[in-house]
Amino acid sequence: MRPIILQGHERPLTQIKYNHDGDLLFSCAKDKVINVWFSHNGERLGTYEGHTGAIWTCDINKSSTLMVSGAADNTMRLWDVKTGKQLYKWEFPTAVKRVEFNEDDTRILAVTEERMGYAGTVTVFRVPISESDAAAETPLYVITTRESKATVAGWSYLSKFLFTGHEDGSVSRYDAITGEFVESKQVHNSGSTITDLQFYPDRTYFITSCKDTTAKAIDVDSFEVIKTYLTDTPLNTSSFTPVQDFVILGGGQEARDVTTTAARQGKFEARFYHAILEEELGRVKGHFGPINTIAVHPKGTGYASGGEDGYVRVHFFDKNYFDFKYTL
Amino acid sequence: QERKAVIAQRSLLELRRGQADTLATQREAELAAQRALKQKQESEAESLRVQEEINKRNAERIRREKEAIRINEAKKLAEELKAKGGLEVNAEDLEHLDADKLRAMQIEQVEKQNKSMNERLRVIGKRIDHLERAYRREAIPLWEEDAKQ
Amino acid sequence: EIDVSELEVKLNVTKPVGYDTVVVIEGAPVVEEAKQQDFFRFLSSKVLAKIGKVKENGFYMPFEEKNGKKMSLGLVFADFENVDGADLCVQELDGKQILKNHTFVVRKLNQLEKAFSTPDEFSFEEREFKEREHLRSWLTDYYGRDQFISYYGNRVSVNWNRKSDVPEQIVDRENWTETYVQWSPMGTYLVSLHLRGIQLWGGESWGMCARFLHPYVKFVDFSPNEKYLVSWSYEPVRLPPIGHPARETMPFTDDDEGKHCFVWDIASGRILRSFKIPPQPEGSKDGKKVIWPIFKWSADDKYLARVTVGQSISVYETPSLALVDKKTIKIDGVQNFEWCPVSDALGRDSKEQLLAYWTPEITNQPARVALISIPSKSTIRTKNLFNVSDCKLYWQSNGDYLCVKVDRHTKTKKSTFSNLEIFRIREKNIPVEVVDLKDVVLNFAWEPKSDRFAIISANDQVLNSTNVKTNLSFYGFEQKKNTPSTFRHIITFDKKTCNSLFMAPKGRFMVAATLGSSTQYDLEFYDLDFDTEKKEPDALANVQQIGSAEHFGMTELEWDPSGRYVTTSSTIWRHKLENGYRLCDFRGTLLREEMIGEFKQFIWRPRPPSPLTKEDMKKIRKKLKDYNRLFDEEDIAEQSSANRELAARRRQLISEWQKYRDEVIARVAEE
Repeated sequence: MRPIILQGHERPLTQIKYNHDGDLLFSCAKDKVINVWFSHNGERLGTYEGHTGAIWTCDINKSSTLMVSGAADNTMRLWDVKTGKQLYKWEFPTAVKRVEFNEDDTRILAVTEERMGYAGTVTVFRVPISESDAAAETPLYVITTRESKATVAGWSYLSKFLFTGHEDGSVSRYDAITGEFVESKQVHNSGSTITDLQFYPDRTYFITSCKDTTAKAIDVDSFEVIKTYLTDTPLNTSSFTPVQDFVILGGGQEARDVTTTAARQGKFEARFYHAILEEELGRVKGHFGPINTIAVHPKGTGYASGGEDGYVRVHFFDKNYFDFKYTL
Repeated sequence: QERKAVIAQRSLLELRRGQADTLATQREAELAAQRALKQKQESEAESLRVQEEINKRNAERIRREKEAIRINEAKKLAEELKAKGGLEVNAEDLEHLDADKLRAMQIEQVEKQNKSMNERLRVIGKRIDHLERAYRREAIPLWEEDAKQ
Repeated sequence: EIDVSELEVKLNVTKPVGYDTVVVIEGAPVVEEAKQQDFFRFLSSKVLAKIGKVKENGFYMPFEEKNGKKMSLGLVFADFENVDGADLCVQELDGKQILKNHTFVVRKLNQLEKAFSTPDEFSFEEREFKEREHLRSWLTDYYGRDQFISYYGNRVSVNWNRKSDVPEQIVDRENWTETYVQWSPMGTYLVSLHLRGIQLWGGESWGMCARFLHPYVKFVDFSPNEKYLVSWSYEPVRLPPIGHPARETMPFTDDDEGKHCFVWDIASGRILRSFKIPPQPEGSKDGKKVIWPIFKWSADDKYLARVTVGQSISVYETPSLALVDKKTIKIDGVQNFEWCPVSDALGRDSKEQLLAYWTPEITNQPARVALISIPSKSTIRTKNLFNVSDCKLYWQSNGDYLCVKVDRHTKTKKSTFSNLEIFRIREKNIPVEVVDLKDVVLNFAWEPKSDRFAIISANDQVLNSTNVKTNLSFYGFEQKKNTPSTFRHIITFDKKTCNSLFMAPKGRFMVAATLGSSTQYDLEFYDLDFDTEKKEPDALANVQQIGSAEHFGMTELEWDPSGRYVTTSSTIWRHKLENGYRLCDFRGTLLREEMIGEFKQFIWRPRPPSPLTKEDMKKIRKKLKDYNRLFDEEDIAEQSSANRELAARRRQLISEWQKYRDEVIARVAEE
């Protein structure tokens, strides 16, 4: 089936996310607007306006009542999903690069940029009970990432651990209750930025994508790399698919690194790999620029990709996809 | 009185005569009109027939021209295809062929050629592969001997 | 410039034993002697702070006089308190850019010591090695496969080609070479180049067969029969001072001081002679600093010769490396020369070797191509040429023909065109035939062992346009009964983009490629004898294009030694786009494609000539049917076992995964 193309942004996409039921798709871009769409037909439901800088990230709670967003205007904001009303705002000295609700929607993490003398942090808050819950403004704890700044982060199952992916290709594990550092591991090539960190639905393992052209699956408890997916292009995003054990990887040579104009050199394709066998299965073309973000429908019926080209492409898997099986 | 009666009779006669005249004239006019109408109809029918004839002739001419163009085009295409892909078609067949059919023919022929070329190359490939492997296998003992020296 | 002698001093004198804790750092900043201590302090507090502690007075730097000042050489020795520190230092700093504009090369001193032990030691080792190993064992592969080198990042591997299957890795080593690798001409040795010299590897174990100490070696070339080796470096060799013990342990003699180029005897590891051949100044004709190879070898390994452009050709004799007749051959204006590729061109019993050279027009003398025989130095044949702007010499592989591509200009010098002057070496008086062309010939290739050739030509008017269309033409030698035999045009394919020709090593097949363009990467595959049944009785060939392909970004192309496969590679030396290689068959069907970042080299291992006689081969051809059956069966068996293996591997991965998931799910349920 042909993908639906969402043309609601004028600038590169930064993160897209399905809600828990998969009926809604949220998209963030550098154009300061967050859009929400019906995922089945691409109709735009509304926008969340208020941020004054490029929006880097968003997340939605399980009941789809709250949405949290982080932006280059140094704020993190909480929104009423239905009305589009801003409910709460946190201010930081630098941009907010990544936000995420924990599994029971009681906490929010915010990854802040290291800039202008401010250290990069991962700051954890309690989800406010109401607009007037002033106490929620105070962080539960602040992790300062001194060695190398964190670019992405996420919560493990039962909110046991908090994982951060770093600019130097390492991954760190923290105690999610106290924020204490547990350990760090050079998972990717040193000096290559980790660009995405997404969990498997049960949050027992996660996948990191990296500019070193690989993606790696990492077990939450053993903190071991359990799978490696090798590609030939810098990666910006990676995601697991339920139903079929696949991973989808997206990326592409950045414009400034592409010396000639031919589009094929950029490799702007979403790549499907078998999650267990680590073998490439196929590619989906379409974007005119690198793929910055990929989100998989929670029921595994399709996926969406957001590109540097400003488009979101919503794909629905066809019968072939579900029928696919290795003859063993 | 009698004169009166004569006059009256004459007048009546004249009147009748007059009436009869008028009637005659009228009938004549009617007849003339009828004739004119008939003539007009006839001439219209004629011109229509002529026109139809012309149309028919034109249509025939156009058909012939089209046919000529088609054959010409087919010939041209056939030549082109012959030159490019080695299409095989004879002049007689061209009479019944148009560009589409020719193209279809060409596709068919190209496919056939490709198939035979592929088959030929498969055979060639296998031959050079097997020959090389045979040479190499036969040379193994010679290399082993070479090692002993 | 780093003085080797200083290293040798350190190596052999001051620290006679146990330098497990000592590392040598090259590429460090150059500092004045006065700032030595400051620099050491900087190193220990900043660069080595996280790595390990250096012993007190553990730093050492050699210095040299420069403009009255003592300056360091960018070479630092550091003696760590423990071995771990030294190991970590190599691990962490080697090959990394530690300071701005300074990439460090870090080695343990004992590694260097191992690599450059005394010549006595390694010639002994080599003798032992020869007894142990059969250097041609790869030729006895049951499946008759070919090997290739793949070099990417810092990994060099040797692999068996398995067509579309994953190549079978034979050996894979990190940092096997410091610059690039190459094969010796018959494939016996793999050559690695290092800061300190050359190493040859081979045999089934891939052990080291020989090493040649030649600091900063840049190029290596072998004699055709792998008896001798020529090496060249930008840096002249500098020896430790006379009387220094290190001087004794080096293979060099006093005479080698300041020399760039060395000729070695491979078996003994000895230097036969050294030459002072500094790099050409920039702006020389080719814009290169050195034209390699500097020496060209005669087919029998007996002579090597070198041209001094405009003046002379110097021919040296092996093994004495003395000039033949003790003098160079003076040839006014000489531009270039080529040896005949076979040793029996002048008759089976003749020991004379044939060499062709050309000279341009100089005052009162036309341009000229000449054939001379060595060692007699007698001129066998000459041909005068007019209005010549350039000549290129192409020997046919059997030495039957020499084609001289002559680029000529019209009298007005407004346009250029080419002539092919073909010398028929085996015929009486060596007749020369001229093939006149209107266009400029851009490339020329003989079919190996054949009398056919292909050219790429273009009208010189279009050569300057951006979208040059070229013509590809084939020629063959027509044997006639009554009239003289001549080379005849066979066929031309026009409106091409190709600029390079690659004849298959065993003839018949050819690839025409577009190389060096930034937009076109076309490959066209030709068969010169396609469908010979349809061939006209007097046709010299039945040329048919049998395939085409495109390899985006390709920079190199190579046939495998058998002429069954073609590989094209895209290497990082030229650009970073889609680095990797593609393997296809003789008709361009893609068999395998590997995208590998930082891909540097793909080279097929050459093979020596087959030991089979012509009769042997004839016999084999006769019973090819039996082989067909055998090989078909083998292939099917191979295929199904490969499929089985793959399926088994997948099954295993999936069952392992299931086990892992079950464990995780059980554990999570408990929590």
